[in-house]
Amino acid sequence: MSAGDSYTESQVIMSTVKIVTPFVLTYGLFITFHGADAPGGGFQGGAVIGVVVLMLAFAFGIEPTREWLDNRVVTGLIAGGVLAFGAIGLASMLLGGAFLQYELLPIHHPSRYGIEGIEILGIAAIVSGTVIGLFFATAAGFTADAFAPSDERIETQRDDRPRTGRTEGEE
Amino acid sequence: MIERLRVGAIVVLIAGGVFFTFVSTTGVLRLPDVYTRAHTASQADTLGAGFALAAVALAFGWQPTTVITVLLLFFIFITNPTAAHAVARAAYESGVEPWREDEP
Repeated sequence: MSAGDSYTESQVIMSTVKIVTPFVLTYGLFITFHGADAPGGGFQGGAVIGVVVLMLAFAFGIEPTREWLDNRVVTGLIAGGVLAFGAIGLASMLLGGAFLQYELLPIHHPSRYGIEGIEILGIAAIVSGTVIGLFFATAAGFTADAFAPSDERIETQRDDRPRTGRTEGEE
Repeated sequence: MIERLRVGAIVVLIAGGVFFTFVSTTGVLRLPDVYTRAHTASQADTLGAGFALAAVALAFGWQPTTVITVLLLFFIFITNPTAAHAVARAAYESGVEPWREDEP
């Protein structure tokens, strides 16, 4: 039995997740947006936002969640976060300063909104994408022969796609 | 008078919170299998954290922070039993046998 098969529907968990999810997402965004001038920040907020997807997966099944949230979205979130961080950092270098020298950015309150941009567009996106991606990778399961020498691994008929135990029979 | 009542209520609530957290910890350490442990962890811990948060709300008095504390209390009362339900259900679905007195 693979990890994807073990889902059983539970009315209690689904109802609780339905009630709690909007609050958790709001709370995660709240922490993220407070990064510059109050307790909170991109790491904590991004982790909470990532956990929203984990909760949905626990309540409604991992495979439906994986299909709903395409792998490209998760990868794009992480890559886009890195790009945003680099773009904000390099923008001040293009304007003749050091890396991440916010004062040179041509915006209102540059040092404050510069940090906010790094926190929200950069770090929160990277952290939430990494949490979601690692969860899906872990949920795909691994077998002991994944670490065996490569010539033994061929016999065990193993593909690189995530486990889709339930959906294969239905389609 | 009312202030003394408030402080007394805070002390009683904190004592209740400490008691239930202690019971929960003892249960998790001493009970034999996953079902009884999930039971004691959620039931006593919900009350422990609940009493402690109620004491915090009383200690804050009428403040915006009190609203946040009461919201936290509300969410702990919802999510903690659900987490225990999920753990016990997952254990049952994956075939964990409940502990019986005569078997081991």
